[in-house]
Amino acid sequence: MREPRWNYDETRFELLALEIFAFQFEHCEIYRRFCEGRNQTPSSVKTWREIPAVPTSAFKEVELRSFPASNTIHCFRTSGTSSDVRGTLYLDTLELYEASLLPTFRRFVFPEFLLPEERAAIRVLAPSPAEQPDSSLSHMFGVVIDALGEPGSGFDVENGELLFDRVLMILVESAASQVPITLCGTAFAFVHLIDHMNRHGVMLGLPSASRIMETGGFKGRSREIPRAELCSELKRVLGVSQERIVNQYGMTELGSQFYDSAIIGPSEPRRKLGPPWARVVIVDPETGHEAATGQTGSIVVVDLANTGSVLALRTGDLGRAILDGFEVLGREPGADSRGCSIGADAILNRSSP
Amino acid sequence: MTAGEIAEQLAQLREAGRRLRRRSIKEVLDVLGAVLDGWRDSSSSWRRDLEEQLPSATGFTRPLVEEGLRRALETWSSDALRELAVRELGPLDSLDAGSDRRASGFETTAVVLAGSIPMPTLLALIAPLALRSPVIAKAASRDPVTPLLVARSIAETDVELGRCLRIASFDAADEDCTRALLEADCICATGSDATIAAVQSRARPPRRLVVDGHRISLAAVVPPDSPERRSDLAERIATDVALWDQLGCLSPIAVFCVCPQPERAAVLGEEIARALANAEKSWPRGSIEASAAHSIAQQRAEAELRRAAGRSVEIHASDSTAWTVIVEDGPELRPAPLHRFIRVAPVPDPEHLIDAVGPLRTHLAAVAIEGFCAQTAGVARALAELGASRICAPGSLQSPPIDWRHGGRGVLAPLARFADIEPIT
Repeated sequence: MREPRWNYDETRFELLALEIFAFQFEHCEIYRRFCEGRNQTPSSVKTWREIPAVPTSAFKEVELRSFPASNTIHCFRTSGTSSDVRGTLYLDTLELYEASLLPTFRRFVFPEFLLPEERAAIRVLAPSPAEQPDSSLSHMFGVVIDALGEPGSGFDVENGELLFDRVLMILVESAASQVPITLCGTAFAFVHLIDHMNRHGVMLGLPSASRIMETGGFKGRSREIPRAELCSELKRVLGVSQERIVNQYGMTELGSQFYDSAIIGPSEPRRKLGPPWARVVIVDPETGHEAATGQTGSIVVVDLANTGSVLALRTGDLGRAILDGFEVLGREPGADSRGCSIGADAILNRSSP
Repeated sequence: MTAGEIAEQLAQLREAGRRLRRRSIKEVLDVLGAVLDGWRDSSSSWRRDLEEQLPSATGFTRPLVEEGLRRALETWSSDALRELAVRELGPLDSLDAGSDRRASGFETTAVVLAGSIPMPTLLALIAPLALRSPVIAKAASRDPVTPLLVARSIAETDVELGRCLRIASFDAADEDCTRALLEADCICATGSDATIAAVQSRARPPRRLVVDGHRISLAAVVPPDSPERRSDLAERIATDVALWDQLGCLSPIAVFCVCPQPERAAVLGEEIARALANAEKSWPRGSIEASAAHSIAQQRAEAELRRAAGRSVEIHASDSTAWTVIVEDGPELRPAPLHRFIRVAPVPDPEHLIDAVGPLRTHLAAVAIEGFCAQTAGVARALAELGASRICAPGSLQSPPIDWRHGGRGVLAPLARFADIEPIT
């Protein structure tokens, strides 16, 4: 992760993945039983693509830990509404998590940075790690600001409130001084910012080198808008071109993240790309085998940074392979095919206060 | 179809309705009864065409469509329709002009259809007509076939009644068309809770609104000791799950096994799995979208992990996603991916059953119960009080009588305007 050049070395990835799988099989009893139930063990699994993937939703119900519980130094919890059970990722080290996130962020958000000491003005529309210590996203932004932020970078959500006046003041200043700014945050925070700017009739022209990194869904915390609309609204109110708006695909259960190719390859098809130590496979949910290129399937991530839990995860999202990356299609495209029946979970979620 | 065309059709329907109302309800019911008898006849051209066309439109397999129609239409006869009318409206001879208790339909009725199961569509289209209210219906995106065939069946039986039914086809997101459709005097809408909310927010008062959102059904059984009876029960439950690929509001999403010995739920689950495997041979499940297969794979994997974590969970499943039975160790409610995915959960006694079902009460349609012996009436009453509008035996969930009061409301009465004319001296 600290190597200066990224090398997508398949052989090396294979060796490490199989080694970590064997380690986790040995040290995580639940995972071992899960694998044995599928007759997939270190002696039968020959490639990283065969490593059994556990659903990310399982982190809500079981403790997937490949180290003694007493070695736990930190927990990240998934976000959710009051009615949701939150998933927990137990960590015996934060070093690997941080070592993974930084070069990836740098590569896809600041690809023009050549020197380690280069910095940017970063504002984060999310709570700080001090305010939300169990949020992996806040932790990530904290690490990013520490390593890549100029003095004056910081968080603009405090006590659960987005500080509109402060954010707008900083943005107006950036527009006036033409000093680029990087805005990071959750998609729903950006929707609130857009709504606030619309209400007050504010439109800005941020410097062309400014950029936006947004992540996550809406989870009932703002009105929901399609990502394309979010990008065009951000362009309209902030003047940041769509090529400089990067969506991050990450989740609490993963040690690594994936980013839009928008900044590093603006003329190429937009797709999600990740670091050499994480791979994505699109799996045909009907057969469990790898889906054909372009076919919609389940997004399965094999992440070597997940040493403390399980490295192979089946996410709740559907996606499709595009060139050397993938596209996230979301949770349930086509859910209307269900007719008038519905899952009990959906009813319970709706019935909850 | 444009909003202007819909408005024009509504105007034509109002005109057709004036002619229709010159006929008696009894006469109209006779025509619609003949239509139903035609649909019951498996050799009728409408039935054959539906069996032929529905699979490609909806993804259901043909054997499943044939079996589903056979079972569901068996009792939907002209006599049953007449009895329904009498039960909900009163004696037919006294309903028309000149009587002291009049029942009439609205000048026009708009029907927003949903899903891909044909029987609700058939009933939704003939019910307003039975009250002599002309109908404009928006076909469901998943089933463009059934409404057109129902319209054809009515037109072939009675030309004038056929002129009182129009099928509109437009994108659900088309605001102008939706608003034009909702100009009808009575609006019946079925669909997701989001669809219903959208209809309710767009319909301008005063309008009669008859809506049905998401519903679910369940089974609650005391497992029999006898292996033969258990196998028979499992087969009937599997039939309820398999028919229409569990996509209807009458499809059970869970089986509560009411018994102090939880291990008996496991035995029943195994039997249901065997029966679902057999059903797959007789009436294979239809094609499903990646999202549905993804959801099934996800729920199976979660169950595997719970088992690996030491919980007493059993998983019976086909190699593909065709069918799945998860035997849980408690009645905790979990996601139901549908498409022949059923959970079997033990509960020790009827009191715990009612507690377990409680959180679903707002969306409860039907519960199939069996084996409660002397407690049967009490369990049925408790489930009805929770909100179930139909309590029936396992194996009959998918063949409701035509007069089942869906949503606890009735079939014809909610679409009717009643007038009581008291003696005046």
